[in-house]
Amino acid sequence: MNLRESPRLETLERWMQTVVMHPEGAAAGVRSRPARKLLPEAAVDLENVVLPSRALSSVERLDIYAHMYYARLLEILVEEYPTTRQILGRHEFTHACRRFLERNPSKSRTLNLLSERFPEFLGRSLPRGHRNGLAVDVARIERAMEDVFDARRAEPLTAAEFTGIGAADWQHVRLTLVPALRFLKLRYPANDYMNAVRRGQKPRIPRRRPTTAIVYRRGFQVFRRDQEPAQFRLLKALASGRTLAQAVRANAHGKRVSADRLAATLGAWFREWAAAGLFCGVDHARRPRTR
Amino acid sequence: MTTTSLPNRWNLPDLGLGVGLRTQHFRYITEHWPAMDWFEILSENFIDTEGRPLWYLDQIAERYPIVMHGVCLSVGSTDPVDFGFLDKLRTLAGRVKAVWLGDHICWTGVAGINGHDLYPVPYTEEGLRHMISRVRIIQDYLERPLILENPSTYLTFSASSMPEEEFIARLAIEADCALLLDVNNVYVTCRNHDLDPVAYLDAIPYEHVVQVHLAGHTDNGTHCIDTHDGHVIDEVWQLYKRVHDRTGGRATLLEWDANIPKFAVLQREVRKALRFRNGAQAAAKQVAA
Repeated sequence: MNLRESPRLETLERWMQTVVMHPEGAAAGVRSRPARKLLPEAAVDLENVVLPSRALSSVERLDIYAHMYYARLLEILVEEYPTTRQILGRHEFTHACRRFLERNPSKSRTLNLLSERFPEFLGRSLPRGHRNGLAVDVARIERAMEDVFDARRAEPLTAAEFTGIGAADWQHVRLTLVPALRFLKLRYPANDYMNAVRRGQKPRIPRRRPTTAIVYRRGFQVFRRDQEPAQFRLLKALASGRTLAQAVRANAHGKRVSADRLAATLGAWFREWAAAGLFCGVDHARRPRTR
Repeated sequence: MTTTSLPNRWNLPDLGLGVGLRTQHFRYITEHWPAMDWFEILSENFIDTEGRPLWYLDQIAERYPIVMHGVCLSVGSTDPVDFGFLDKLRTLAGRVKAVWLGDHICWTGVAGINGHDLYPVPYTEEGLRHMISRVRIIQDYLERPLILENPSTYLTFSASSMPEEEFIARLAIEADCALLLDVNNVYVTCRNHDLDPVAYLDAIPYEHVVQVHLAGHTDNGTHCIDTHDGHVIDEVWQLYKRVHDRTGGRATLLEWDANIPKFAVLQREVRKALRFRNGAQAAAKQVAA
């Protein structure tokens, strides 16, 4: 092919990308409608676009890139979703990943966000059932673990900073939560399941039971733990910028709880959250003025 | 061949022998502070994250020179230049006081998609003009030379009108960018395209070369893949010697990215370069005397 007949650079790049990202490999990619639209001559005589080598045909050379594309990205998904893969099984997980990558190619320079929509994709594409429902919830936890791993750093409040909040101020302050924290409402006891797998057990697929969990980073270690529903709601309300008083009121849903019981419960929850390093700032600014 | 001491045109230093900084060695390095002249990082691994890797990198950058090497700048892509990404590169370079930064002579995606692979550019006049223009824009924006590496390639476009080495030489000279000469990639590419690696190396403008890469690869018989998963083979060491004889010394880095061994193995492997570097330096002194 002489220079005058050469496809434009942009066309050639779009064509090659279409071919090597085809889920069934380069030969299917060359025959695909989008590739034929870009470079019809390639479907007729591929050697007009890609030269063969002494040992490999043109399509075999393209297949090297096609194979590496899926192999590289699958390796990342396998690393990020070990328990999801364990639940679905190697074959089904790989199949789901390939379909996901086909519909959600990376649009980022880094690979951190590659699987951002993978749990949602599983939720939409897997048939209903307890095993698949659990897999979706576990995938959401595993994705949250990736998110908090990369999240912005923030130094948690020290014990002195906590005790520095006067008793009278507590209900008016707004606490800032660390960026490396995610809230998850789940349909299955997915966190328990993951704990059992981590202990080397082979747990049964549990029945549906709604749970609430948080995933967070303390220092550079990622943790996940279940929260009681009321505890979860209160922490989430604090994360949204409500004062403790507002958060407690919103959480009470009109229920009457004795002051002693409320103080004891809140004390235990705050000790747990503080030990986990979930708070990184205190805002006294909006305390109402006394007359 | 007589050794020549040829400075690069930016007088960027010969940093000595380094290895690619990989997660598996973070703890060992920060506990033992092993002997190593410098480290190269994969830029994208430290962008958009504030987790543990960056914390380790901050400590390591306090003690060793750091070079940034990227895989997603996509210099050859026909998509618009991503200035937001350049900002992130510049921020990271400032943070780790990068001695230099670079990427590959390739494209990694088009139409807003990223394949996270190093795709070959057609070696045409259009491709060359496009890359020259992009390199100039990026260098102007970053206010520093871009160090671009020859990639391993597995196919040749029929449209190519010049050999890869000519494309690279003209790119370096006309865009006035620096080169990272990966001698393993030269070997792999020449095997895959039935080319002569010595002729390839002879076409390189060495005053533009500031860094050399060494690595292992996988030989599948019909073709080689740049897998970075083992020792450097003798043929590649001979190419390294040739480059060293032409330059008199360039920052040399060993890449090992799969089946990553203990750090001591990397140290031993990269130190094999000393037999050529010391020999070349001794020979250069003799010539000077």
